Amino acid sequence: MKPRCAEYTEEYVSPDKVLSLLRRKFRKTADSMELRDYKGGAGNETAYQCLWVQVEKQRFLDLVDALREIDFLHFQITSGDDIGEAVQLNYHFSIFRCAGRGKRLGVTVTVDVPKDDLVMPSLWSRIPGIEYSEREIREMFGVDFDGLPNKALVFLPEDWNEDIKPWRRDETGPRPEDIRELS
Amino acid sequence: MAEGLNKTYKVPIGPVHVGLKEPITAWLDVDGERIKGATIRPGAIHRGIEFMARDRNPIQIIYLAERICGICSFAHIVAFVRAVEDAARIEVPARAQYIRTIVLELERIHSHILWAGVACYTFGYDSAFNLGMILREKVMDVLEALTGNRVNYGTGTVGGVRRDITPAVGKVIREMIDFYKNEFGVFYDVVTDDPIAKARMRDVGVLSKEDAIAYCALGPTVRGSGLRVDLRWSSPYEAYCDMDIKPVVPQDYTGEVYGDVFDRFLVRVLEVYQSLEIIENAMAGLPSGDLMWEPKLPKLLNYLKQADGTGLSSIEAPRGDDTHAIRLTGGQDNITWWKVRAPTYSNAVSWPIMFMDNELADSPLIINSIDPCISCMERMVVTDRSTGSGNIVTKSELIERCRDKTRRMMGS
Repeated sequence: MKPRCAEYTEEYVSPDKVLSLLRRKFRKTADSMELRDYKGGAGNETAYQCLWVQVEKQRFLDLVDALREIDFLHFQITSGDDIGEAVQLNYHFSIFRCAGRGKRLGVTVTVDVPKDDLVMPSLWSRIPGIEYSEREIREMFGVDFDGLPNKALVFLPEDWNEDIKPWRRDETGPRPEDIRELS
Repeated sequence: MAEGLNKTYKVPIGPVHVGLKEPITAWLDVDGERIKGATIRPGAIHRGIEFMARDRNPIQIIYLAERICGICSFAHIVAFVRAVEDAARIEVPARAQYIRTIVLELERIHSHILWAGVACYTFGYDSAFNLGMILREKVMDVLEALTGNRVNYGTGTVGGVRRDITPAVGKVIREMIDFYKNEFGVFYDVVTDDPIAKARMRDVGVLSKEDAIAYCALGPTVRGSGLRVDLRWSSPYEAYCDMDIKPVVPQDYTGEVYGDVFDRFLVRVLEVYQSLEIIENAMAGLPSGDLMWEPKLPKLLNYLKQADGTGLSSIEAPRGDDTHAIRLTGGQDNITWWKVRAPTYSNAVSWPIMFMDNELADSPLIINSIDPCISCMERMVVTDRSTGSGNIVTKSELIERCRDKTRRMMGS
């Protein structure tokens, strides 16, 4: 299956407008949304901005699709942590990669995946470049991705005991005897 | 192997060399000499660096980050310390920003010349390879004069840099710029004007614009497909904020885009000139002032211990966008989590598309074209599934196959 053709938009929308659009559509988590300035250079002026957004798991796909209406959603990486009751995932995206000097907008979307239902919808059909990251999160945190065709291990060795999830901090994480200190 | 029998063989390329960040195994489905499909399996040497980092404080992680990669070690440090500076709200003095920029560009020159030389070596152009290696020595000397080391410079720290550009070092850098302006053109000419080199790289390993976008390709790989994507321009950081950087794309120089290995070669070679210009500008505008936000280490560590937040940083490393994300929790010496995304992580996803319908002899060139490590191809196993027999093709045999094709083209 070949994913649909992708292109970058030429219609630039200011970060403030993107923020207010998301706040309007996702009222429940609107307060968590933040636009952060990144400064630099001799004058220490704002060079670009990044958007930090939190969303409920049920509305994650809606948020992704809302962003995809603005521009092709370039995927960078997923980071995450075991926060006790849930595995927290941060999807780092960017839009307007090609739109002009200082115009790229980084978008980090944070989602809590509760441990009693460790499944996320896969973005593979929308962004095929996400494949490795979803496979990595699957093997490191045990979060399954619904719709991801290739769920093979990506970074862990073939003979890995898949009951051990290296980045988890609970009983499924590596026990002290699983860790070999080299020095 | 005969072609057209509608029978494919699986050819694994791997395992890998320890020297580089991204060790990768490629399983190629071949029908005769044609590659019909490819499966990539990274991870042969996943070192669990992000896991190790959980037991370390940000200053200790600098030395871990530096060892992710040998060639772009400084790019990883800068991406890491910028993520920490973002999480802890630290402002870097202007002089330190400029020095970071200069070292980043020196590293880019180093990486691109090394890559261009190795690409020539892959298809048997040994004189160009040797010329590239000679040229690369100069920038290594400059890095050594500035930092004391040829690789892993130990120069970056949270809130600044640890080495200053003294007048003596400034002189060495200016000499280097003059040297490359006079000498690098020869290398550019011998490769781009050579009909065989062009024939080996043109229309090989094509990545279309649409695929480059969809598969999230980065750096020279995406620019080679004609897209103006460069973080130094689209989200400037450090001294790039004061400069107008134009992304290097092939259509500006040749008038057309093929998205092949030759275009990626062209982008890298032209970026060497761009880096020289950036270094020249940064040297001319080098502000005076402090090197660090907080020079006293215990004070800095205490501040970082109080810091609470998530930081993100993306910078344009020689191979593309290098992204680091970090979480600091108030009251804890060590970081909570750290995620590194080196450019090859993204670029390798495009490999299967680049391989499609190319010749087996071109596979080393295609693998090389996104700039991972050619030494990754330690050996390769050819298996005949119908008989179950397997024989091992070594890296040198694979290179020989690639070179044979050049000889055939030259008619000798």
